[in-house]
Amino acid sequence: MNISQMSQTLFYLIEQQPDSEKAVDYLRQQAATFQANPQTSQFYRVFTAIPRYVGKHPVDVAPDMAFALERQRPRFTAEGWTLDRLARVWWLLQLPADDETTYVKTISQLFKAAELNELVALYSALPVLAFPESWRFQATEGIRNNIADVQSAIMLHNPYAMDYFDEAAWNQMILKAFFTDKDVTQITGLHERKNDRLAHTLADYAAERRAAGRSLPPNIELLT
Amino acid sequence: MDFMDSIRGMSFFDMHVHMTSRTTDDYQAMADAGVVAMIEPAFWLGQPRTGVDSFRDYFASLVGWERFRASQFGIRHYCTIGLNSKEANQLELAEQVMEILPLFIYKEGVVGVGEIGFDDQTPAEDKYYRAQLELAKEANLPVQIHTPHRDKKQGTTRSMDIAIEHGIDPGMVIVDHNNEETVKEVLDRGFWAGFTIYPFTKMGNERMVDIVKQYGPERIMINSAADWGISDPLAVPKTAALMKQRGISDESIRLVTFTNAVTAFAQSGQLSLEELTQPLNIDQSKRYNGSSVLRGGQAPRVDKESTIIK
Repeated sequence: MNISQMSQTLFYLIEQQPDSEKAVDYLRQQAATFQANPQTSQFYRVFTAIPRYVGKHPVDVAPDMAFALERQRPRFTAEGWTLDRLARVWWLLQLPADDETTYVKTISQLFKAAELNELVALYSALPVLAFPESWRFQATEGIRNNIADVQSAIMLHNPYAMDYFDEAAWNQMILKAFFTDKDVTQITGLHERKNDRLAHTLADYAAERRAAGRSLPPNIELLT
Repeated sequence: MDFMDSIRGMSFFDMHVHMTSRTTDDYQAMADAGVVAMIEPAFWLGQPRTGVDSFRDYFASLVGWERFRASQFGIRHYCTIGLNSKEANQLELAEQVMEILPLFIYKEGVVGVGEIGFDDQTPAEDKYYRAQLELAKEANLPVQIHTPHRDKKQGTTRSMDIAIEHGIDPGMVIVDHNNEETVKEVLDRGFWAGFTIYPFTKMGNERMVDIVKQYGPERIMINSAADWGISDPLAVPKTAALMKQRGISDESIRLVTFTNAVTAFAQSGQLSLEELTQPLNIDQSKRYNGSSVLRGGQAPRVDKESTIIK
């Protein structure tokens, strides 16, 4: 994936949103300042402050835009996002990716101090960040997280896990999705990454539920 | 009579409560009693922290995990972020905390800098109180002031003097933990006066009723400051019930248990009356279009009367 092309497409999507002039002006201005003089403090400040300037309206993704996003990053989607989430993901792509250590460290600091909506944006961005292999552990942290929206940001409609998780991490994610009542049909790669070990674990889980007199989670039969 | 009977249908905003130290039973009881929103000021956890990472994780939990926990009960959770007066005395650590504060005070749902002010009234407390007033001024955020237990009257006056010296508008400052001795000056000088209904050490709610009768409801707000000590997370609804029993008008009760706090903290731009009067779950369904969330506001309810646990 080409980061600057993805950044352009995301920005175009922001511009397409109704009443986004103020947001677009703010973001364009911040990007220009940051490009001229990339200061980490500004990078952090803008990331945090984005909702104040762009609002939180649900984003409307026209079919041609959905197609453009998918073509640049297979299975990537901004469907169901709010504008602040979209703008934050776009802003993350403004960080220079010339040095891996600095890049990963800078974004890791954002994870450490993030509030709920920031975490949602950060996990949504994983499929389009540079050095994708570097985020494997962080992505599993998102699944360990106990906040439903944060879990959903990494588990649902997000191709990162499908592309980068090993089998153990993938299976853990699917189990956790069942345990936390997610709609597993929204997991990207659900069918492609079916495996025997997962089927076995889920069968055990189903047996345990039956023994306890509890109902089975919907769609578990898809994987067993 | 059950206090709940007289306040049915009323909404409350507990503008100072430390939910980190409380259980889900408390959340459930607060939601049942009509608490729809709360502010959790950053405070001292009962023992000193030994490193800046503990502060970072604590601040992050106030804007993350605790907010989510509250949302499961349909309660909106806001916070104020700051370095508390006790821990301001650990100079080296205090410096490090000051460095990370800007990372947090601009976050969504952070409605002020707090709780800050004086404990022992040492020079270190003075220094960091002033530094944080400057931060609040720069971020255009309200300030939530903790007034000291010891030497309270003088400490309260001093806290207000310093705020004014730093060019902070009294209308942006909520002076908390007032009592009969401090309230007059706080109101006369144009500050907001918070009262903590907390058994044995702060205000009792019968005294609170008398204060509202004497001073009226303008710029007065009450809270529970429930924490790890013997305290009562239902202090706000209970005091509302008592005010009602003792003849205070519904309109005045609404001001001191809800609207005044909203007006004061709405100056942060991070909360509004409009937002607070909408049920939380409607908001969520809009925000999380199509994806399954843990049904905000409708966490599976445990029937506490039943002997059977399923």
